[in-house]
Amino acid sequence: MRHDDLDRTLSGEEDIVPSSGFVTGVMDAVRREASTPRPIPFPWKWALPGLAAWTFVLVSFLIAVFTQISRGAMAPSIVASPTLLTILAGAKSVGVGWMALALLMSFASVKLSTRLIGGRT
Amino acid sequence: MSASDDQTAVERVLAGEIAAFEQIVRRWQGPLVNLAYRFCRDRDRAEEMAQEAFLRAYRTLDRWRKDAKFSTWLFALATNLYRSELQRIPAATVSLEDVAEQRDLRPIDGGLEDEDRDRFVRRAVSALPPKYRDVLILFYFHDMDVAAAALGLGLPEGTVKARLSRGREILRSKLQRLLATPRMEEGL
Repeated sequence: MRHDDLDRTLSGEEDIVPSSGFVTGVMDAVRREASTPRPIPFPWKWALPGLAAWTFVLVSFLIAVFTQISRGAMAPSIVASPTLLTILAGAKSVGVGWMALALLMSFASVKLSTRLIGGRT
Repeated sequence: MSASDDQTAVERVLAGEIAAFEQIVRRWQGPLVNLAYRFCRDRDRAEEMAQEAFLRAYRTLDRWRKDAKFSTWLFALATNLYRSELQRIPAATVSLEDVAEQRDLRPIDGGLEDEDRDRFVRRAVSALPPKYRDVLILFYFHDMDVAAAALGLGLPEGTVKARLSRGREILRSKLQRLLATPRMEEGL
């Protein structure tokens, strides 16, 4: 079969005619749609600044903690115990801070999703 | 009804006059049902899919930016919907080998029942991998206009041309295998 034959066959397809009740059916569906109140959209405009601020505070806090730990500049009263120092060093080596951040972010997104779904039902 | 009539109707609908949407439905029902039919090859389903496309158009009418023609926007929306519908529930296609065997479309004397063969070729398009099928459907639906097919699919023209060429090649080789050998030759 040549390209010309393909073109002839595929472009020469006869159109089907929509059934007589098609327009009425569509307009009924449109009217039903119009009479149903639209779902209230999530107020991102209001929520975003809060979420951004929360993330900023959390990240700043974690960065501050990391910096303190890595410099070993914790207040003498806190780092007085050698056991605590060992624990902190161990935690630092396995990246506990990042794990905590990941857990916190996961928790926050789960809570947010649950709240959004809860708001719809 | 012209493009400016479309725009007027859209503005009236957006102003709250739902009845004005009927003008849009009346004007575009044929093309939208036919486009759906080329995707699913089932009349009833085509009407359902076209109805859903009109509903979606109604819901998102305010997103139509007037820098593109209303028809371009409507076809792109409908194409998107039809493709996802087919992905969700694929069209009931019988394998081409089965169709060829049941009806024996091969020519007896080199000639062929044109109508049957044409139907078979269209079925073969539906059985292509979606990325080639979609391009072929849109290309022929828009009277072999690559630009219109590209707009409908939201793809660059170059991609459409490449897929078109590859799709036709696959189609041609499939059809050649199933249709080319005249039946008389088998007995010789």
